[in-house]
Amino acid sequence: MSKVIVVDDEPFILMMIEDKLRKARIDVITLRDSRVAVETIKRERPDLVILDWMMPEVSGIELCRTIKNDPGLKDIPVFMLTAKGQDADEQLGLRSGVSRYITKPFSPKALLEMVQEILTK
Amino acid sequence: MAKTRIIYRQILIFLVFAALIVVPLTFTIVKQVNMMILQEEREMSPQQAEGTAHREFSSKLLDQIAPFVFYILVMALMLSIFFSRRMLISLKGLQRGSQAMKDGNLDIQLEVTSDDELGDVTRAFNEMVAALNAKTAELKQKDVYVNAMLDPLWVVDEENTIQDINPAFTRLFGYSREQVVGSSIYDFCDERNAAIIRGQMEQRRDRGMSSIYELSLMGRDGSTIPVLVSGSPILSGDRIVGRIGILKDFRDQKELRNELQHSKEYAETVMDSIEDQLIVIDKDYRIVRANRRAVLESRGQVIGEFCHIAAHERGRPCWTEGRECPAQMVFITGQNYRTTHEHVGRAGERRFHEIVASPIKDAAGNVLHVIELIRDVTERMKHEEEIFNKNRELIALNSVASLLNKSLRPEEIFSKVLDKMIEMIRMDGGGIFFIDEMKREMTCQYHRGISDEFIKTMGRIRLGEDIPGRVAVSGQVLTTSDLSKDHRIERSIIKHSGIKGYCCIPIRGKERIIGVFCLFSFRVHVFSTEEVNILNSLGEMTGVALENVRLYEKMRELYEQQRRRREEEQSQILSISTKLGSALELKDVLGSVLDVIRTIFNADFAWLLLSDAEGNLVLKSAAFPTGGGNEVIYPRGVSSIEGYAVDRKAPTVIADIRAETKFFVSPVLSHLAAQSVIAVPMHIGDKTVGAFALYYVGLREFREEELHFLRIIVNILAVSIERADYYVRAIVEKGLSDTILQSVADGIMTVDRSSRIIAVNKAFERMTGMPAPEAFGLPVCDVFRYSVENMDFRLALGECMEGALEGRRASMEADMVSASGYVIPVLISSSPVLDSAGTVTGVVNLLRDISKEKEMDRMKTDLIRSVSHEFRTPLSAIVGMTEMILEGDVDDARLRKYLHTILSEGVRLSNMVSDLLSIARIESGKETLRRDVIDVNAFLGHLTGSFSASIKQKGARVGYDVDAVRNFVGDEEKLTQVLMNLMDNALTFSDEGCIVEITVKRRDDILEIALADNGWGIDEADIPHLTERFFRGSHKDKVKGTGLGLALCSDIIRMHGGTMRIESAVGVGTTVLLSLPYKESI
Repeated sequence: MSKVIVVDDEPFILMMIEDKLRKARIDVITLRDSRVAVETIKRERPDLVILDWMMPEVSGIELCRTIKNDPGLKDIPVFMLTAKGQDADEQLGLRSGVSRYITKPFSPKALLEMVQEILTK
Repeated sequence: MAKTRIIYRQILIFLVFAALIVVPLTFTIVKQVNMMILQEEREMSPQQAEGTAHREFSSKLLDQIAPFVFYILVMALMLSIFFSRRMLISLKGLQRGSQAMKDGNLDIQLEVTSDDELGDVTRAFNEMVAALNAKTAELKQKDVYVNAMLDPLWVVDEENTIQDINPAFTRLFGYSREQVVGSSIYDFCDERNAAIIRGQMEQRRDRGMSSIYELSLMGRDGSTIPVLVSGSPILSGDRIVGRIGILKDFRDQKELRNELQHSKEYAETVMDSIEDQLIVIDKDYRIVRANRRAVLESRGQVIGEFCHIAAHERGRPCWTEGRECPAQMVFITGQNYRTTHEHVGRAGERRFHEIVASPIKDAAGNVLHVIELIRDVTERMKHEEEIFNKNRELIALNSVASLLNKSLRPEEIFSKVLDKMIEMIRMDGGGIFFIDEMKREMTCQYHRGISDEFIKTMGRIRLGEDIPGRVAVSGQVLTTSDLSKDHRIERSIIKHSGIKGYCCIPIRGKERIIGVFCLFSFRVHVFSTEEVNILNSLGEMTGVALENVRLYEKMRELYEQQRRRREEEQSQILSISTKLGSALELKDVLGSVLDVIRTIFNADFAWLLLSDAEGNLVLKSAAFPTGGGNEVIYPRGVSSIEGYAVDRKAPTVIADIRAETKFFVSPVLSHLAAQSVIAVPMHIGDKTVGAFALYYVGLREFREEELHFLRIIVNILAVSIERADYYVRAIVEKGLSDTILQSVADGIMTVDRSSRIIAVNKAFERMTGMPAPEAFGLPVCDVFRYSVENMDFRLALGECMEGALEGRRASMEADMVSASGYVIPVLISSSPVLDSAGTVTGVVNLLRDISKEKEMDRMKTDLIRSVSHEFRTPLSAIVGMTEMILEGDVDDARLRKYLHTILSEGVRLSNMVSDLLSIARIESGKETLRRDVIDVNAFLGHLTGSFSASIKQKGARVGYDVDAVRNFVGDEEKLTQVLMNLMDNALTFSDEGCIVEITVKRRDDILEIALADNGWGIDEADIPHLTERFFRGSHKDKVKGTGLGLALCSDIIRMHGGTMRIESAVGVGTTVLLSLPYKESI
């Protein structure tokens, strides 16, 4: 069973994604504190990480860079959830090694499809 | 060294050899003969033997010697011949040498083998060969030169048959040497050119001179080649045996000459397009060349005419009019000469011509011709003259003013004033008549330009008679441009005296006319208004001065006591009049002048009011800071001291204004509580200028001499104001539109066609820090050079102006660094200034500070960004969760939780929208504050009331203390919004059973509202960010919010002119302190 880690400071977002992915028989670990995200990822070795861009303490982009700069983690694909909608932001996100860029508000169904697509690869 | 002759040597050799052989041989022979004789003697008797012996000896000797001698001689000959062989070698050498020379080998050198004649010959031979060799080398070199010459060369004999040519000849004409040598030079040219050559030959042959002439020769290909021949004779002794000619290819020069011809035409075109007259004059002063303008000016043929017809309409040379002739000056000096002549124009008008004359010299430096450039400078000269006259008037006026202030001697005053007057308006003479009231007559006491004889006949006039008498009675200035033709003046002793221009000015004393100035001119003189005004005021000033002088004399003793102070005053007056005299911008100095006068007279206040056209008294200047003057102090008809003095035309002293009921004192002076006042009217002739007044807080009496002193000063002031008016009037028109421009908030720069500044306004000065006078004349883009960062701005400005100069409006936005270093976003708009014909004469540039617009833009963008961001999160819940519910992803157990989240996020979104709208309204400046009188108790009661449900739910205790404050002014609705927000926060971020206290206190004119809770408190790091939009502190997980509440509160308080401060400690509680400007009622 595939394992996905979701990091977001909004609890209801975590709830939505968790519910949606679980239903599709995907193991989900949700994190609200981005500071513990890296060690959790190292420990759990997920198949996919979904990050919120705008988080207090450590932002999604910073987390993504840490993952992509870690030789042991850099192959884990990263999805970025964000409330930003500017092209420039997207460019920055993609340059940081983000595989998918998902703009809020998003369709949980579409998200699930994207997750399944990357997990089957 | 003596040379040995060969013959001697041969003889010597011969002799030596002979001797060498003969001597031993002789001995041998003699010995042999002796032995033979001895043998015979032994055979013969001794006697017999004696005689026989001698005979026998000789014959025997002879017999013995003869063959030997022959042999010896042969041997000697052989030997000498053998030794002479060497000579033959030398001779052979010589023979070889000459053979080699014949073969052309000149490098041989023969060995000198002997020191005899042959040696000499050999040496001579060697020398000859060396000389020949050198000569040959030289010749060869010459040949190289000749061959290397680029110019063709021919050598011809007397018959003009070509003897030789060089390779250049072949190159140029194509003929080979063989084809040419032996031919006549006439074979290479046509008849015309042949004639030229013959002519040259004829001319030069006899004299054996070189000649240079042009020739065209035919080339081998049939072309004609122009050459410049430089021929020189080849002389043999005195006889010319031929000529050598260098033929210079002249084709290029020919072209050059054509070009020269063209450029000459060009120069003539240029000459003709010169707007000045240009003539070339020969030594007879006749014109040899003239440009189009000169021909036009003289309306006819000019070439061959005398030079003066070019500029002198009447055709008289300069010297007949008493002026130097420029052409003559140049002919004499050989130098450039520049002068300006006054000529009489066609219509008899005065014309000024600036003449620049320059010489054309030959090689020896002799002046052959003179070029004259004649420019009509009448306009300029007239203008200069005008300025000069104006200046002269001003200088005279000033010197008179200072003279009157300095001098106490009446003779000096009058004679100087008379001189000044004559000089100022350029009269020929004049006089001063003084009135003797007793005798009812006037006598001339000072005069200029009039003979004593004349004074005797007309130096005494009865009052009322003739012109001076009438002026003395009427007090009116009389002027006439031509006395002899003025029908007003029939009965005058001077009517037919030759005087034309004439004026008569009354000298006004304190209360009466004390005399008249008379000025005359023998030419027609039209008196201008300015002149009359100035004369009038001089008459006035002189009169006052005279009376002043009399007073001075009377009060000398008194003044002696106060001399020191007086001297100071004098210098102050002098400085006043100097100040006034030198300043054209009167308003610049008037303030300080008034202050000086106020100090001199120990007054508490001084001001100067001017009469305007409507008869109002307008504030011109005051010795205290005012709103800038030009406000109407006393409208027409209002009875004021100043107005009264003006009407009376006399200084008016009021001992105590408070006791006077008939005078109205301006409210401007209400704070002064003045008592004594002196008002001095200002008149120039009959014209009322205004009044000057001094105010005293205490009581003050004025001495007679002080009053007069004041009158002098006020007179100077009046004249100065009037004079400044000349200048002011000229710029009034401009001033009017200027006032409008000045008050515009946008920076305005008007530039001329060459982008130089001609006008700027105050806003421009503010923006650039450059005062207007400095900016004038500067290229507009240079103004912004003070900061290198203005590069882009200058480019933008340049671009806009370029557009405007092409006749269209142009505008651009650019950041400008202001004088104070701030970056101001500026909208540049440039519009062309068009004249009536529609031509662009300049550009008006408007610099609009668009910081505010830019800020609004930025805020709008910020808002949109944050809104879009902040809205997306709650929308995610609404959209995502709804989708999941519809998809059937959510089971019943979680459905409620989902719906609850959707609802609360929806509410959050809605709150955000309304808060945002409020903020947007406030920040855009569209929201206005209402001014309500708020009853504090009711206000707080209503507030707590609306929270009763939450308070009850939370079990909180809320109390308020309003101190002694009952009412205050503010926008009730908005302040309620603030307090509700704060109250909501206090209750939200607290545990159950919390305490909230509201305190309202007044501290001087500040109202303080404090709202304190004992809730969770705020992280110290969060406090500075609390009023940022969408900022949510550390408790945001626990509590839903928009992050806009405190931002809105802060905005509303700021709108009221107050501040909001937040103090907090985690676990202790939070206090929000609002400080508002306090006003109890509207």
